Amino acid sequence: MLDQISSFLNSGTNLILFMIILPAVFGAAAGLFGKKYVTRLILAVLSATVNLLFAVSLLQSEGFCVTVPFASHGLDIAFNVYGFSSMFLTFTAAGFLLVSLYSVVFLRDKSYAGLFMLYLNISIAMINGALLSDNLGVMLFFWEGLLCTLFGILLINNRENPKAAVKALVLSGTADLLLMLGIIITAYQAGTPYISQMQKLPVSGVSGIGFVCMMFGAVGKAGSLPFHSWIPVAADDAPTPFLAAFPGMLEKFLGIYLAVRIVTDIYDLQPGSGMSIAVMTLGTLTIIIGVAMALIQKDMKRLLAYHAISQVGYMVLGIGTALPVGIIGGLFHMLNHVAYKSCLFMTAGSIEKQTGTTDLRKIGGLAKLMPATAACFIVSGLAIAGVPPFNGFFSKELIFDAALESNVVFYIGALLGAFLTAVSFLKMGRAAFAGELKLPQDRKNVRETSFGMLLPMCVLAVLCILFGVANTLPLDGLLSPALGYTESYSGWPHSAVLVIISVIVLALAVCDHIYGCRKSGSAINAADHIHYAPVLKNVYDAAEKQWFDPYSWIIHVVNAYSALCTYIERGVSWFYDVAAVNAVKGAGNLLHRISNGSLARYLVAAVAGVGCIVIIFLAVLL
Amino acid sequence: MSAMAYIAVSFLVVPLIIIIINNLISRKAAGKVSLYMACACAVIQMASSVTDFFLLSAKHLHEYKFTLLWNMEEAGAEHFGVTSLSLVILFCIGFVSLISVLIAFKTIEHKKISYVNLLMTLILGMNGMVIVTDLFSLYVFLEIVGISSFVLIAMFQSETGLEGAFKYLVMSALASIFILTGLSFIFMYTGSLQYSQIGDILSVKDGSQQTLIYAAVILLISGFAVKTGSVPFHSWLPDAHQSADTAVSVLLSGIVIKVAGIYSFIVLTNLFSGVPAINLTLAIMGIVSIVTGALLALRQTHFKRIVAYSSVSQMGYILLGISTGSTLGLVGAVAHIFNHATFKSTLFANAAALHEQTGTLDINEMGGLQKKMPVTGFSNIAAFLSTAGIPPFAGFWSKLLIIMALWKNSMQVYAGIALFSSILTAAYFLRMQKKVFFGKVPAKYAELKEIGGSIKFAEIMLTIVIIGAGVCFPLALMYLKGRGIL
Repeated sequence: MLDQISSFLNSGTNLILFMIILPAVFGAAAGLFGKKYVTRLILAVLSATVNLLFAVSLLQSEGFCVTVPFASHGLDIAFNVYGFSSMFLTFTAAGFLLVSLYSVVFLRDKSYAGLFMLYLNISIAMINGALLSDNLGVMLFFWEGLLCTLFGILLINNRENPKAAVKALVLSGTADLLLMLGIIITAYQAGTPYISQMQKLPVSGVSGIGFVCMMFGAVGKAGSLPFHSWIPVAADDAPTPFLAAFPGMLEKFLGIYLAVRIVTDIYDLQPGSGMSIAVMTLGTLTIIIGVAMALIQKDMKRLLAYHAISQVGYMVLGIGTALPVGIIGGLFHMLNHVAYKSCLFMTAGSIEKQTGTTDLRKIGGLAKLMPATAACFIVSGLAIAGVPPFNGFFSKELIFDAALESNVVFYIGALLGAFLTAVSFLKMGRAAFAGELKLPQDRKNVRETSFGMLLPMCVLAVLCILFGVANTLPLDGLLSPALGYTESYSGWPHSAVLVIISVIVLALAVCDHIYGCRKSGSAINAADHIHYAPVLKNVYDAAEKQWFDPYSWIIHVVNAYSALCTYIERGVSWFYDVAAVNAVKGAGNLLHRISNGSLARYLVAAVAGVGCIVIIFLAVLL
Repeated sequence: MSAMAYIAVSFLVVPLIIIIINNLISRKAAGKVSLYMACACAVIQMASSVTDFFLLSAKHLHEYKFTLLWNMEEAGAEHFGVTSLSLVILFCIGFVSLISVLIAFKTIEHKKISYVNLLMTLILGMNGMVIVTDLFSLYVFLEIVGISSFVLIAMFQSETGLEGAFKYLVMSALASIFILTGLSFIFMYTGSLQYSQIGDILSVKDGSQQTLIYAAVILLISGFAVKTGSVPFHSWLPDAHQSADTAVSVLLSGIVIKVAGIYSFIVLTNLFSGVPAINLTLAIMGIVSIVTGALLALRQTHFKRIVAYSSVSQMGYILLGISTGSTLGLVGAVAHIFNHATFKSTLFANAAALHEQTGTLDINEMGGLQKKMPVTGFSNIAAFLSTAGIPPFAGFWSKLLIIMALWKNSMQVYAGIALFSSILTAAYFLRMQKKVFFGKVPAKYAELKEIGGSIKFAEIMLTIVIIGAGVCFPLALMYLKGRGIL
């Protein structure tokens, strides 16, 4: 029996298929039978653990290719397990374990918990499938499947008014459409849809269009500009575990995975080339715009959502340099981001669970009541701000290094982003946890959050420290081998100047915060002097009116188009209902009036008819 | 004489015998049996034409020639002849006559003997037109048809009937002048009026006196157009149809205008196939008739007048089919002749039923009669859908053939207009259907009953024929293909 199982599991094909099928099965079980909390908890842990075991065993195996026999010719379901993708599988599986546990506990009393687990598990199945696919077309299938589950989760709470769901569907759908276009062009140019068989394509001409489309699709999934604006809306509407799971973790994994593969495997992106500059510009813009919007938010979830956008910018910037140090920096930053951002979303969820709100104007001084949550927040907040020796510092330094090597403008943009990040987290942390205790009026018994939610947060916080202090572990242990780099990027940053500049920026951020607190009188309004600065005020007003939101542009275009169609439709209706009918009626009346029953007139008509026939004959004969 | 000869001769002899019997026996006896004799005549004619059709195709003959009492081998002797085409038309004559008699059972109370005498004369005239083989005999039988029609229109009702008949008489006189003059021109040119000889002479002679032939053709077209009732020679047709008794209207619309007009046009195009202007004239006349007839029908309020204008419109389709000059177009035209006979007979049978039950034919006074007269209502729907050319009704196939023939003949514009006019056809009939059969029932018709007897029988039979012909039409096409005609 055991032999059979072990031989069964030794076959790579079965492992791969189980990576896709098992989460879906567990999800269905949770959806069907997950009426009780305990059942859900067991199912969640079981599903995530099995998934993690499989992923680790794939990671330890040597790379292999599998083509599943049941498929039509040209669309073979080909899977390719090699170091890079199985590394991502392991990341996903580990993150899934934490998020799954957190979600079950967070949604303990919610009626839709089973549905949420169903969607989450199916999403994992889709992500596993997308990471494993060798065939770009098959990958696209799983990719779009993730869009479906995303839509479903966003619908859970808001069936009556699915604003966030529709927005996410439109924006992510547009990004996925671009990806599809890019995949078609790429497969056509390369002559094969299999990534493992592709020669690196040059980024120029038609292939350049393919590169741009695929890149937009990949970073759009990760939450970069211009497909980002659904995330803050989802922060208002969706359950908090969703934020930790999707914008915080899973979508970053998937999007960055594909972005790295595009740059390293599919296309030959040269450092310093025009396309590289373009990608870096996109990254820098994402950093600055995302963090600038985060700065003025007064709600924890919204603020974190904007940071989730902003941090993607660093990854895109790093990958866009096409330098090894940039790519590994981007990947490392992704890993770190998942650790601290998921942890941050989880602390926000804990606060929401205990106090019923995440509005910073209603809460304050929670450190006394929720010390463990506060500790997790402080660790992850320091990590995202890039304070040494936490993990965010090291990955940012790698990216700074790569940016500076490309162009100093990008470096300055990235520094500005770091400055604003630090400012906004100082504001948020002090507003929520420091100072006098402030609670919403109806809440009295606020205490530390439950163990089941605290555990994933603590694990992530520990990871934040571990990846910083012992950054050799992820960098040299996982990322470099997966990418095939021989050079070591671990350890303390080699350029002391960069470190000094970063520290100065952090110090400036602290100064700015103190200045802001003095000026406005409270920590929560510490960023107001930036918000209401002369020119920025107008820009922020415009941004809050959604003038810069591509979604609102799309909606305006759609509205204009539908108005145009309405006019055309009215014209057509008028033609059928009024013009044609009246023309026919008028002609009938005219003819009726002519034939008035007078025999003389009839005879004249007959003779005229003969004349007409004569004319026809003459016309033909002459 | 062979069986075929007996059958062929019966087309002329049976109506004559019935006229003689009808007038020999006492008036009392004749009043009882005359309609049944007419019925028998129609049925015999249908049976004869079907039998002859299959005999002809079994013998692989194009035409069967026969005479009555003289020897056709003598020099200059005339002869009769039947072809597949003329047998189809003979069948239609019998069919419509049968419907007319069935309607007459209900609508005609007095003057039954005169009706039967005139009907027999009319059948004799039409049969004669179809089986003769020279233009002058065609003209003679045309006059027989015309004169019996005038009297049939005029004899039942006093004032309006007279007016309709008078208009028809005047217009027909004009047509007679045209036709006779045209014939004399042709005779001047060729020295013969036999179909076979005219064709030969025309192909041999050079163009020294072409103008004479063209003048003759123009006059003949005008004359036949009056008989067909195509625009702008249609003015007599609605009045005559409206004022005549329904049993007579169904004859006029169902078969007389077709034999007197359309069949003459078929003969004309066959004889003068070298004159392309004829085809163009017919096509233009057809299109104008289709559109004008439909537009005028939209405006009418009298049930039979709508149907009459619809006839003008439908004759246009048949003219279009003939104008292509191709076999496909001719087959389409002949199929449309048959289909038109079925659905127009249905509509007139419905008109008779409505008139019998309500006493009026003004569609504004009617309403909601579908519940009261379900059979009439349903047969009306079948008939007008067939007219509009909706599959699977019979009219769809013939219109399709005509439009296909037009298209193949690169007359796409005509095909397009013909296709679009189907919408107009549906429009005026839908209007009629809505006003008569849908909506609220007026209080005065609360006690209305469905018509019974022979008219109901005719309605049911015709509906079955319309639907059955529509469903079985592909079989007919396969038969034609098997015989190598298509």
